[in-house]
Amino acid sequence: MPLPDTMFCAQQIHIPPELPDILKQFTKAAIRTQPVDVLQWSAGYFSALSRGDPLPVKDRIEMPVATQKTDTGLTQGLLKVLHKQCSHKQFVELKDLEKKWKNLCLPVEKFRAILELDPCDDKMEWIKFLALGCSSLGGTLNTAMKNVCEILTADPEGGPARIPFDTFSLIYQYLASLDPEISASETETYLATLREKSESRKNGMIGLSDFYTGKTSG
Amino acid sequence: MAALPAKERPVRRRPRSPAGGRGHEPEAPLATGPFGHPARRNCLEFLPPGGTQRCLATGAGAADSLLGTRSKPGEAATCCAGALASRPLPRQPRPRASRHPCPWHYLHVSGSHDSLAPTCLRARLHRRGGGSTPDMASAMTDRNPRAAEASGTYTYTSRPRAVPCQRRRYRDSLLQPVEEPMNYGNIMYDRRVIRGNTYALPTGQVPGQPDPLELQRQQQARRRALARKRAQAQLRPRTPEPVEGRKHVDVQTELYLEEIVDRIVEVDMECQTDAFLDRPPTPLFIPAKTGKDVATQILEGELFDFDLEVKPMLQVLVGKTIEQALLEVMEEEELANLRASQYKYEEIRNVELAEVQRLEEQERRHREEKERRKRQQWEIVYKHNETSQKISARAFAQRYLADLLPSVFDSLRNSGYFYDPVERDIEIGFIPWLMNEVEKTMEHSMVGRTVLDMLIREVVERRLNSYERKEDTQPSMRSDDVFSGPGTVKDPSVSLELQEPTISQQPLLDRDSSQTIPSQERRPMEEWDPVWQNDQGELKESGGEELSQPEGSWEPGNHSAAGQ
Repeated sequence: MPLPDTMFCAQQIHIPPELPDILKQFTKAAIRTQPVDVLQWSAGYFSALSRGDPLPVKDRIEMPVATQKTDTGLTQGLLKVLHKQCSHKQFVELKDLEKKWKNLCLPVEKFRAILELDPCDDKMEWIKFLALGCSSLGGTLNTAMKNVCEILTADPEGGPARIPFDTFSLIYQYLASLDPEISASETETYLATLREKSESRKNGMIGLSDFYTGKTSG
Repeated sequence: MAALPAKERPVRRRPRSPAGGRGHEPEAPLATGPFGHPARRNCLEFLPPGGTQRCLATGAGAADSLLGTRSKPGEAATCCAGALASRPLPRQPRPRASRHPCPWHYLHVSGSHDSLAPTCLRARLHRRGGGSTPDMASAMTDRNPRAAEASGTYTYTSRPRAVPCQRRRYRDSLLQPVEEPMNYGNIMYDRRVIRGNTYALPTGQVPGQPDPLELQRQQQARRRALARKRAQAQLRPRTPEPVEGRKHVDVQTELYLEEIVDRIVEVDMECQTDAFLDRPPTPLFIPAKTGKDVATQILEGELFDFDLEVKPMLQVLVGKTIEQALLEVMEEEELANLRASQYKYEEIRNVELAEVQRLEEQERRHREEKERRKRQQWEIVYKHNETSQKISARAFAQRYLADLLPSVFDSLRNSGYFYDPVERDIEIGFIPWLMNEVEKTMEHSMVGRTVLDMLIREVVERRLNSYERKEDTQPSMRSDDVFSGPGTVKDPSVSLELQEPTISQQPLLDRDSSQTIPSQERRPMEEWDPVWQNDQGELKESGGEELSQPEGSWEPGNHSAAGQ
C-alpha cells in the first residue's frame, strides 16, 4: 500500500533499515576512541567508511585518555590507529598523514614537532614516523622500543609482543642515530648481544622480555 | 369390497383426513393403544369434542386400512381411481405420485406391494425409536391440515438435522450399557425405495397372484376377532357413573407418581467462560459532557508536525543505539581484557616454566653432585674403617703370636723337629755299626778266651799229666790239685774271675761318669724319650767301653779288627 503524501502519524515515518547498524557501529567507535573533537573525528570516520579505508578506531579503550592539556595528546592507541591506517604503504604522503592526524583530533603542532626531528619533504617512510612518534610518547629509548614492539607485533595483546629482529634493529639504529648521546659502537654492541639472544632462542624474533626489563606493560 | 378401499383412502392420506391432523403418526395410537394418554391428548388438541371416541375410531380405522391395503393391494390401486372420481377433492396427481416413488413420501406406494405392511410396521418402529423430535418436526410441518389440503398435494418434509453419532464417544455408566438405536439408515438401503430403471419396474400387479379367497377369509377372521374384542371391551365391567356433582378423574395407580407433561422436558445447559479472563478493560469513565461543543476544521496534514512526531522515535533510536553500543563496547572490552590478561599470564607462565625447568635442572645436577660426593665420602670412610680394622687385627695378631712363637718353637724343638745332623747321623748310622763292631769284637775276644782257656786247659792237663807222672812218683801232693783242677776247667766263668775285676770295674767307673754328664745335658728330654736316654746311656756305656777298651784290651789284634 503506497503511503499517502501527507503524514498523519508517527507510524508513517520510515527509518532506513541500515541506519541503526551504522549508528550503532559509529557510537561504539566513538565510545572506544573517545575523540576530543567528535565532529572532526566523525568526519574522518565517515570518509574512511565511505572510502573503505581502515577506520580511525582504537581497538581498545585507553583508560588514561590523553587530554592535550598536560601532555602531547599522542598515545600508543592513537599511534596504533595511525599504523593501522598507514602501514599498508611503505611511504606515506605527509599531507595524507596530516589529514589523518587531524582526524584523530591531534594537534598539528605536535605533528610538525615530530617532523622536525627528521625533516623531509612530501614523503616519509612510515616506519620512521612511527618510531619518532613512539619516541615522542616519552621515556627512554627502551620505552620507545617497547611501544614499537607493542604496536608492530602480531601477537595478541598481553602476549610476548615479538617482532622480527631486523625491524627492531632498523628502528633502534634509526632512533639511536638521532640521539647524539648514544654512540654508534654502543648501539652496535647492544644490537649484537640482542641478535645473538634472539637468534639462539626465538628464530629471529625479539620479544619484550628480551630487552625490556622495566615494569611490565599494561 | 368397494367400500373398504373408499374408507381406506382418507386414512392412508393422513394429511387430508381430519384425524390425520396429528401428522404422520398413525402408528402412535396403535403403539400406545387406544387409551394411550399422549394419543388422547393429541386428539384433544385437534378435536375438542368427543376426542376420545374419534381417536379410537381413527385408530381402528387406521388399523383397518392398513390391513386392507395389505390384503388387497391390486384392488386398492383400482379403487383409488374410483374414489377419486367419487370425491370432489383434488386428487388427480395422487396416483401419479404413487406410481412415481419419491423417497420423501414414505407412504407413497398405495397398494403397490403386499410387502407394504411389513415395511410400514418397520417404519413405525423406527418412528417410535427415533424419539420425539422427528415426530414433532413432522407434526409441525403438517400442523395445518387445512393448508395442506388447500395445497392439494401430499408433502412430507423432514428438517435437515445432524446425524446423531453412531456410537457414543464415552460410556455413560458402566451399569447401563446404552443401546443407541439407529435412527436413520442409508436411504438407498430402504426397501421401499425403488432402485434402478423405473420403466422396467413391474408396477402393475399381476392379478390373481395371491389367493383372493384366502385373503378374504383371513380378513373375515380378523374382522371377527376385532368385533369380538370390541364386544369384550363393551362387556367389561366399567366404573360406575359418577355421583351427581362429581366427575371421574384419571388417577395414576402406578407405584411412583410421574408427572405427565405435554411438553418434552428440556434442560438448559450453559457454558460460560471465566468472567475475568477475557474481560474487556473497564471503559473509561467519561462524565457527561457539559458546556458547548465548538468545532474547528482542520485541513489535511495540518496537525502533523514531523519534527515533533519524530522526536520520540529519534529518542528511542539514539537512546537504544547508545545503550546497546555501550553495552557491547563494555562486553567486548571485558572480553578483550580477559584475553589480554590471559595472554599475559600465559607469557608469565612460560617464563616461569622455563625458570622452573632451569631450576629443576640445577637441582638435578646438585643432587647428582651430592650423590657422587656422598658415595665418595662413603668409600673413604669405608676404606678408613677397613684399614683401621686391618691395623688392629694385625696388632692383635702380633701380640697373640708373640707368645705363641717361642712355645711353638719349644714344643717343636722338644718334639725333635730341630736336630743336629751330625748327632743324628751318629745316632742312626754310627752307633749301630759300633755296636755291631763291639759285639763282633766281644765275640772274637770270647772266642780268643775260649781258645785260651782250651790252651790253658791243655797246658794244665799236660802239666797235670806231667804232675801225675811225677805224682806217681809223689802221690800225696798231687791229689789236691786234681780235685780243684777239673772244677775250673769246667766253668769258664770261674776261670775268668781272674780277669774280671778289671773289666767289671771299668764299666762301673764309666757308667758313673756317663750318668753324671748326660744328666746335665738331657734334662728336658728325660720324660720324652727314655729310649733315647737308654740309647744314650748305652751309647755312653759303649763309648765308655770303647774308650776303656783300648786300655782293657790286651790284644792289639782286636783293636785293629774294631777299626775295620
